[in-house]
Amino acid sequence: MPARPLGRICYVEDDEDIQRIVRLSLERVGKMVVEVVGDPTAAIDRMIAFKPDLVMLDWMMPGMDGPALYRKMLATPEVKALPVVFITAKASPKELEELRKLGAAGTISKPFSPKDLPEQLRAIWGALP
Amino acid sequence: MNSPSTEAARTTASARISLRQSADPRFVLADRVEQMYSQMPLAILATLVISAVAAYELREGRYVEVVVFWGVLVLFLTVVRTVLYWGYRRAREKVKEAEQWMRWLAISALAAGATWGFAGAVFFPSHADEQQVFLAFLLTIVVAGGIPIYAVSWVIYAIYAAGILFPFTYVLATFGNKLFAEIALIVPAFYVLNVGIAYRLNRVFNSGYRLRHAYGKLTEDYTALNQRLEQQLVELEEARRQVEASGRKLALFAERSPIAVLELDPGSRIQQVNPAAENLFGYPPAELIGRPASHLILPKYQDEFAKQWRELIQTRAPMSALRLRNPRRDGIEIVCEWTVTPLVNAAGEIVAVIAQGRDITQQLEAERMKKEFTSTLSHELRTPLTSIIGALQLINSGVLGNIDKDVLELTTIAERNGQRLLDLINDILDVEKIESGKLTLFLETLDLAELVAESLTLNRSFADRFKVGLATVGERQPVRVSADRKRLLQVMTNLISNAAKFSPEGSIVEVSMESCDHGIRVGVHDHGPGIPENFRNRIFGRFAQADMSHTRQKGGTGLGLAICKRLLEMMGGKIGYSDREGGGTTFWFELPKQA
Repeated sequence: MPARPLGRICYVEDDEDIQRIVRLSLERVGKMVVEVVGDPTAAIDRMIAFKPDLVMLDWMMPGMDGPALYRKMLATPEVKALPVVFITAKASPKELEELRKLGAAGTISKPFSPKDLPEQLRAIWGALP
Repeated sequence: MNSPSTEAARTTASARISLRQSADPRFVLADRVEQMYSQMPLAILATLVISAVAAYELREGRYVEVVVFWGVLVLFLTVVRTVLYWGYRRAREKVKEAEQWMRWLAISALAAGATWGFAGAVFFPSHADEQQVFLAFLLTIVVAGGIPIYAVSWVIYAIYAAGILFPFTYVLATFGNKLFAEIALIVPAFYVLNVGIAYRLNRVFNSGYRLRHAYGKLTEDYTALNQRLEQQLVELEEARRQVEASGRKLALFAERSPIAVLELDPGSRIQQVNPAAENLFGYPPAELIGRPASHLILPKYQDEFAKQWRELIQTRAPMSALRLRNPRRDGIEIVCEWTVTPLVNAAGEIVAVIAQGRDITQQLEAERMKKEFTSTLSHELRTPLTSIIGALQLINSGVLGNIDKDVLELTTIAERNGQRLLDLINDILDVEKIESGKLTLFLETLDLAELVAESLTLNRSFADRFKVGLATVGERQPVRVSADRKRLLQVMTNLISNAAKFSPEGSIVEVSMESCDHGIRVGVHDHGPGIPENFRNRIFGRFAQADMSHTRQKGGTGLGLAICKRLLEMMGGKIGYSDREGGGTTFWFELPKQA
């Protein structure tokens, strides 16, 4: 379990409504600092600048989907160590298993409850080595 | 192995044996007796005539009385023989009594012979030279004349001739004349010669009669055989008609079938096609018949087809649900599902291979579209629902500040119905996954008691909404089962929420755990109205709700129990329900215990 509490989240999501709900949830309910990125191709640069504790990736995004972005992160030294949680509306168990093998910290399925989201993230954070 | 000539020789030999055997000896004997008796009138008449002539010629001399006595003897014998003949003619059991009649005949022949022998012995010495010559001729005539009469039985002839010649020979030998003594030496030779001739004739007669009977029997056999053959011919004709009729029926089946039917030879060459096959591939029969079946397979799949064909010819096992990509004449590619059946004859050889195929291109397309639709449903509906439910939850949770009571009431309704919509989507997706066999469980060993407790916690707020309490009954010991945690929670949630929905306000839904034959049984007991009789047989079916108005009143999709049943079966368990005494229902499921 990491020594410091979970405080900084970077969320990559193309849907503006969900962006807003997640931001409200994490800021208001979870009292966290949130950086929301709409364009996945710009995400890595933003992560490097923002230095989040944890990254949340949407699964399906135009241009570059979550798993592709994650693979790109793994190939980028500055962000490869960041814990990643996938937010997904549909993913086959096989795909999820594959991502876990790659090192994803966890998955949260859509629709999630904004009330419970901060707790879910903290649970994943707490389970990290 | 026998050579054909040996075989033929054996057949001929056996035919000969069977010919002899097939002539019944009783019938042959009866025929011989009949033959002799049939000649009896002639013999009697001849004896009378010759005797009369003899008596007339011999009347002069010293022994007229002896001649008269002889004449009377002849007449008496004639009467006796006539009576014998008459008796035979009247006999009914000629075949059965043949031997008896033969014996009587032998006696009568001996008597006839002896009468002539008497004449020779008595009259020869007492008469003049001229009459002696006459008598010698006479005796020669009756001895020779006996041959045709008695030749059917050489033994009888021998008795007859002996009766004539032995006394005569004796007289000749003892006459005291050298010439007569010499003749006496010749007479036995004459006797032997005549008996020899009679013996030979007897054999000829015998084989003639045997042949006649064998032939008669053969004719009988032949007639019976002919009748049987005729009967068989009739049956064969009937069978042919039936075969023809079923052949026509079969041809009609193939002709009118909407399924393409191809007949192939063992070398995979097309022998025959039905109209559906013509339509399917767009080829006229002339362009298909005689061509290899690979003509209807895309080039890149031909190697695989050749391999499958070899396997089919080798194993002779029918294949079904064989999916192949087939090109049409117009170049359009279709996917067909084939059933391939080799026809094997009695000798174990493949005489033909019947391939029946149907175009499943559209079916596959429909399946693909269904999958795409499911995928769309899953993503495109969940994404906006995430926003709707999320936004409402944030408002209702109060983190954004205090909200007017009426507004809160409405946003709560909106959130609840959003959740309902989500449940429906999730249930539909689950059913789809179960039906397509794509639902994968993640089995782990877990403590069922802990999971039951967790499910109660998770559903407490839902039960609160119906003002129903949740409680566990009985002692709970840790029980290890192999199950998918998330899916088993889904089952528990389903059973508890159903129980809560249908329980009266203020009642308590009880959850129990107990050991059973199959492992552990979890029961969810409610105080509801019970399950209506007409709903019981479809309660685990899809979209099953006792009363559709419940859907609006209480929520739920009617898919929950169907999903629960399948999930539990996949975990090796089962689900059921029973009425509670004093009202209410118990829904239960059983899971095998883990060691």
